[in-house]
Amino acid sequence: MPETVTSRRTDERTSFFTFIKNHTMDLLAYAGLAVMLILFLIFNSGPRLMYNFSAVVQAAAVYSILALGAVFIYSMGFMDVSLGQQVGVYVILMILIGNKIGGPAGVVVGFLVTLALALACGAINGAVSIFLGLPSIVTSLFLMFFFTGAQYLLMESTGENTIKLLQTVKPADRNTYTLMLIGIIALLAVIGTYFFNYTKLGKYTRAIGANKVAAKQSGISLVKWQVLGYMALGFCAAVASFVLLTRTGTAGKGTGSGYAMDIMICLILGGMPLKGGMKSKISCALVGAFTYTLLSNVLTTMGVPLNWVNFVKALIFLVIVLLTCRKPNGVLPR
Amino acid sequence: MKSTKKVLALVLTLALVFALAAPTAMAKARTTKIGVGLYQDSGAAVTAVKSYLGSLEDALNVKFTYTVLSNTDEAQNITKVQELIAAGCDGIICTMDMGTEAILQECADAGVYLAGYLCDYDTSFRNNYDNVFKNEFFLGTVADGGCADEARRGYDFFDSVIEYNERTPDAPIRHVAMTVFPAFAFPYQQSFAAQFVEKVEEYNAANPDKAIEVDPLSDETDILMFRPMDSTYFSKHPGIDAIVSICSGSFVYPTMVSAGVSNTMKLFAAGYNDGDEAVFGSKGAYQMEIVSPVEAITYPLVLLLNKINGVEFPDQPAEAERRGSSVLLINSDEDLAKFQNSIYLSFKPEDAFLSPEDVVALTAYNNPDATYAGLVDVLAHMTIDDIK
Repeated sequence: MPETVTSRRTDERTSFFTFIKNHTMDLLAYAGLAVMLILFLIFNSGPRLMYNFSAVVQAAAVYSILALGAVFIYSMGFMDVSLGQQVGVYVILMILIGNKIGGPAGVVVGFLVTLALALACGAINGAVSIFLGLPSIVTSLFLMFFFTGAQYLLMESTGENTIKLLQTVKPADRNTYTLMLIGIIALLAVIGTYFFNYTKLGKYTRAIGANKVAAKQSGISLVKWQVLGYMALGFCAAVASFVLLTRTGTAGKGTGSGYAMDIMICLILGGMPLKGGMKSKISCALVGAFTYTLLSNVLTTMGVPLNWVNFVKALIFLVIVLLTCRKPNGVLPR
Repeated sequence: MKSTKKVLALVLTLALVFALAAPTAMAKARTTKIGVGLYQDSGAAVTAVKSYLGSLEDALNVKFTYTVLSNTDEAQNITKVQELIAAGCDGIICTMDMGTEAILQECADAGVYLAGYLCDYDTSFRNNYDNVFKNEFFLGTVADGGCADEARRGYDFFDSVIEYNERTPDAPIRHVAMTVFPAFAFPYQQSFAAQFVEKVEEYNAANPDKAIEVDPLSDETDILMFRPMDSTYFSKHPGIDAIVSICSGSFVYPTMVSAGVSNTMKLFAAGYNDGDEAVFGSKGAYQMEIVSPVEAITYPLVLLLNKINGVEFPDQPAEAERRGSSVLLINSDEDLAKFQNSIYLSFKPEDAFLSPEDVVALTAYNNPDATYAGLVDVLAHMTIDDIK
């Protein structure tokens, strides 16, 4: 065999293995999603397939939107533990303002006020940690306590356990609603992809995550891009709150609770390196959100006993973390 | 070696997932499937409910699937109901009134019926009656101890304190303080506290020599935000002989123990927790506990099964109703001895108020003589004295 052919084959094999090695996390994340989809189709091969498909889209919509925004801060190696409480307060505010003004205009005003608040909180979250030299989780902890208190106070002021938006914002037809949600997710995914892959925002946030000192010495303004990263999350939080409101039509003291942790799990399942950096991808948000939602859905439709559901989830999560661990002594993807 | 381990881990996980799924997938013969959304995933009450419902599966040709709902997050409840529907449930029993209108929309889309248990659906009853109680997919609910507008739990606490004083004339209770959960979550607990105070005032007017002092509810210490009671409670209420805990005693008793007052102070509480029998009556601080009979779930179950089988009671109300069941009031050692023979503690289906045959006879599709009034009447006979 001529030497050139052998050498070409060796090169091809080497590049194949290099590709596998470089994309282990992505491949595992996609494989996880594929397994969930297969199980979903196996255990839903009946008249309720379409119903369950729309249920999955509904459940995954809020996670997807929040995760798309969270990619911008996770790519810097940061996280925001106040996300759930923020969503709770935003939904309550939208209902209170919407009901006060009334009609579709009330909903629009409610959303705009919430959006402004979400962007302001994002800016505060990003800026304070830099100005005070605090880890980002500390400022988000402050916001978490602030929003927890605000949520309690707002709900107590109503004297009700649950408040309802009087204006209907959800399309009556289930398929229309599902298409609307798919449209919102797709639109935000396109916008997110554009900003994350083709603008300075994505490039600089990834650079900050990869090496903050190097990024700073390259002339990247840490304050500006950190603040903008958090504002991107704020924008998505406001949109996610609106989507949540369309789904429930109501809000209460615990609305949004748990989202911060859920989003972290979604992103890890989607292959997001927790340390951020250049390997961060916007696709992690969608892959992770749908894998996470399908996992819960599939376990229930499979008839896994209640006591086992959390155990199985924890086991799968642990296995994914172990499989994607790249550092000999590390326990999480980096 | 490393990659072998990783592959092995992946294979083991998939094997576990399939192993868990296989038996349930194979057992997909067409039986009616009822989803039950409980308020927690473990504990004596949950075990008792599962034991009771499990005993009915063969007689009714029903399979039960369980999930846990949230009392604060409506989105989670919608997701859980969607998952139950996706799992093939024909009817769903819920214990939470959170996101109910959206949940009913899901039920309507899937042609699945919904009924309530352990919940009076008060928020929906007051604010959203037309969309919930007039909804054809909502069949009604049963609340333990009566619904919000008819419950007399404060009077039960008063009766219990007086019964204790009559039983122990040498060391009667003369000074009481109370605890409640916040009004936004349990709007009627403060009404129950007011009922208790009202009865005490009547009693004091008639019996000035046996007067009982009740400390007014303090916002600082007496409204428990779903956390254990703070030990400052005792400095806020010095000299009390007993605590009337209108919320669960499990939030109060541990603080009494850590403050060293559990041997001298008495506790009258709602709810029953594993191990309470060891510190009840003459053995410890607990002097009264209120327990919800798990068999009350028969009400939503029968309504669902009738509807799924296309049958209604001849006297079925036009709109869904909320009904109250009796409760198990444990006031003495004798009551506790009886209670220990209930399914709530023994977990034995044969200790339930209703046998599978009784439940079959309550359903309209099995028994043409069955009536709605008969079903409601059963709910009134689940007291401590009804235990066999």
